[in-house]
Amino acid sequence: MSREELAARQAKLLENLLTGAAAPPGFDPERLRVEAGVLRGKRRRLVAYLRPDLPQALGPRFRSLFDAYAAEHPKTTEVRAHEYAAGFAAWLVSRGELPKPRRRRFRR
Amino acid sequence: MGVTGVVERLGVGIGWRPELDLSIARMRGVDWVEVVAENLHARHLPDSLVALRERGMPVLPHAVSLSLGGAEPLDTTRVEHLAEVARALDAPLASDHVCFVRAGGLDSGHLMPLPRTREALDVLVANVRTAQSIVDVPFALENIAAVLQWPDDELTEEQFLTELTERTGCLLIVDVANLYANARNIGTDPVAFLDGIPWERLAYVHVAGGVERDGVYHDTHAHPVRREVLDLLAELRRRTDPPGVLLERDDDYPTDSELTAELAALRTVVSA
Repeated sequence: MSREELAARQAKLLENLLTGAAAPPGFDPERLRVEAGVLRGKRRRLVAYLRPDLPQALGPRFRSLFDAYAAEHPKTTEVRAHEYAAGFAAWLVSRGELPKPRRRRFRR
Repeated sequence: MGVTGVVERLGVGIGWRPELDLSIARMRGVDWVEVVAENLHARHLPDSLVALRERGMPVLPHAVSLSLGGAEPLDTTRVEHLAEVARALDAPLASDHVCFVRAGGLDSGHLMPLPRTREALDVLVANVRTAQSIVDVPFALENIAAVLQWPDDELTEEQFLTELTERTGCLLIVDVANLYANARNIGTDPVAFLDGIPWERLAYVHVAGGVERDGVYHDTHAHPVRREVLDLLAELRRRTDPPGVLLERDDDYPTDSELTAELAALRTVVSA
């Protein structure tokens, strides 16, 4: 296995875990499912930490809405963590899950 | 036994988090702290951390995003950031994990296991050597908690880590909570791991709490340390006198007295 092949296999694994793409060959499907849940939970907790207003506004719906967002919008390397959280907030507004935010008065 | 001179004696420490900064400043029994390098800017260190440094407390940066096991080209700006933070803290050591976090433009946000193959080891060794050429202090790598395994492992984890240290001269951080997690979740043998580790390369030990949900043990760093994890620390202590042992607590922060009690429990085990 060359470095290029390993890179491709690592990419396939993340694609499966983060987007639900086809499972890479040889992996235990149950373990993939568990790992995907671990990654989703880790990302969800980070988004809640960076934007505590979102779980506060959504209550118990935060989890299912975030998981739906994450499956469609896996975090890419181009996006910073706070931008990703902001993207989720914008998605919630676009779907009518959250009211359009008023301009923050003290924003610099 | 730890070789004198390779790693300075650190004692008992705790993972520094902004939420814990006041606790750490006033708690007894904290000899040193570890900080997540990505959360710091070398030119704007938090005052509470600078105050610890001024008291002479060692502060060791620990990275989580270098993706040293990733087969794509190493992102050296991340390594340079770690090097800057290490310099700003005058740290004796810097570290990351045996894992990858990015591939194919995606960011897992978490530490992903590597296939333990010769080729993956070659990639890791090359990346670690590059990192060592940028960071001007000794470099250490930590074993992770994995919930899945690659289908084509050729080496055990202890063989993989031993070869890694032999080929790069790096040090090791052994996380006994991760050993426990792996034993629970993927059925690895923690005692075989402890038997196979080159202890003269040990930098320090990590200990953390976790919780079991739906038959999976989660290394949450948000729950009390389990008895079984302390037992593994004792098992490790039978093989070496670790230069340092560190408690990681990242969420659901308990009271100072609970943290002090956990630190005291670690000290009791490693002083035995």
